[in-house]
Amino acid sequence: MSLIRLALRNIAGNTFRSFVVLLCALLISGMALTTGMILFGADNSLRLAMDRLGADIIVVPEGAADRVESALLMGRPTQSWMPASVVDRVAAAMDVQAVSPQLYLATLSNASCCTVSDMFLIAYDPRTDFVVTPWLEKTIGGVLRLGEVIGGADVFVPAGEEGIKLYGYHVALKAKMEPTGTGLDRSLFLTIETAQEMARVSRIKAEKPLEIPQNSVSAVMVKVRPGCNPRAVALNILVHISGVTPILSPDMFQSQRKELTALRNGVVMALIITLVFSVLLIGLVFSMAANERRRELGVLRALGATRSFVFQVLLSEAGLLAMYGGVAGAALTILAVVLFRKLIIATLGIPFLVPALPMLAALILGGLACSLLTVMLAAMLPAYRISHEDPSIAMRE
Amino acid sequence: MKAIGIFFMLLALAIGVVPQFTNCSAQGRAIELPGGRTIPMKCHWTAMAAPAVAVPLLVVGGLMFFSRRRETLWALSLLGSVLGIFAILLPTYLIGVCASDEMLCNIAMKPTLIFGGAVTLGAGLVGLVLAGKIRSGLFTEAAGSD
Repeated sequence: MSLIRLALRNIAGNTFRSFVVLLCALLISGMALTTGMILFGADNSLRLAMDRLGADIIVVPEGAADRVESALLMGRPTQSWMPASVVDRVAAAMDVQAVSPQLYLATLSNASCCTVSDMFLIAYDPRTDFVVTPWLEKTIGGVLRLGEVIGGADVFVPAGEEGIKLYGYHVALKAKMEPTGTGLDRSLFLTIETAQEMARVSRIKAEKPLEIPQNSVSAVMVKVRPGCNPRAVALNILVHISGVTPILSPDMFQSQRKELTALRNGVVMALIITLVFSVLLIGLVFSMAANERRRELGVLRALGATRSFVFQVLLSEAGLLAMYGGVAGAALTILAVVLFRKLIIATLGIPFLVPALPMLAALILGGLACSLLTVMLAAMLPAYRISHEDPSIAMRE
Repeated sequence: MKAIGIFFMLLALAIGVVPQFTNCSAQGRAIELPGGRTIPMKCHWTAMAAPAVAVPLLVVGGLMFFSRRRETLWALSLLGSVLGIFAILLPTYLIGVCASDEMLCNIAMKPTLIFGGAVTLGAGLVGLVLAGKIRSGLFTEAAGSD
């Protein structure tokens, strides 16, 4: 009988012991994979959101930084305004290469004139924009016309309708962006001209008109001259222009980063506790099993099996159980994380995108290795002890 | 096989109970008609139908826990798998859930039914394989200990 076949029969022979070890391996692999997927997924999501914003500095009204970050990251709409004259003053600041204003708007809550409730709308100026326009030229080979919008990955036109209704005004969805796992996936980008037309139509067709204050903007996107220090430019804007807050691109989403760090500490701690308890539990289960099977293994030795063969049989059992449990844990975790992604985002309050396939494959291998190492480590000592016992003593006791 | 029986019963509880608290009607939401009358949303009917899958699955789990005959275990595993498929089909094809991605039925009820259904299907298939091995005599000791 081959080593693996013998190990398989031993596994089948004691279902309770096998079930406990399998469950531990499943938990370890699942925990390790969940930790990796959420942490890498959240980090990736934050990075993609920063790339999507595409500006070195974002200038927002004083005191609105947190709300704007929350809107961009979690899709919680916000409206904050500052005078449009800020755009020219920022453009005149030292080492600023380009500036472009944006208006932050939102659809109404549960109103029949809006297809989607509380959706974040970002209106940009196509004459100065350097964030959306280059992407549009690459994707649809042109610019957005009046009544056209582009949406995040989760935006869709409802079945049976030709467009999306916003304040009673129908817009056509021209393209969808790649997913980022952030609120940008549920946001719409449109030109300021379309936003103003929507505001005009809303006075007649919407339950509540869309108000866009005259000569006001919500944010100014700033591109710094190549080779210049964005931090110095941001400081210059802060000192010379009152009533605004410049946010540096690398400093964006600081509160979410802090939450992510706290979450990382929590899940790593939970993983370590799971690993320690699993090693102890599996070690205990294997010790009990080894004691129970002393006679059986003694007979095996008396029939000519070497110490190393007995040791290998026991370790093969542990390895097979770790692999079965690890694979089941990985499959269940991926299924759960993919299906409950939105619930995870809503519960933890952090953006999260399922990692790309190569990263996911690496994380799965990591989870399997974690489970295999833990189970093997726990089984090593009992296996060594029993394989080195004298067969005559083992059979007599 | 007893473990699969217990597993089926736990999954049946999740499939039957979770939708009752995560559909839009349970959150006080309904479709308002122009006349002012309200009607339940789609997810309400999915939640109503969920026990129709959960209760038979609970019975299948219970029977599996007490059964020893290979043929019975094989048939119960097959039935469990079919019920798992129906749990997946309820929110995705047979009835559905609300259109908005942000509603609770979409972020909690639908994933619960799909996850529960997929795991039930997987456990049923494992049960089929194990029942088949009992028949071939490979796991005779295991069947005896069950």
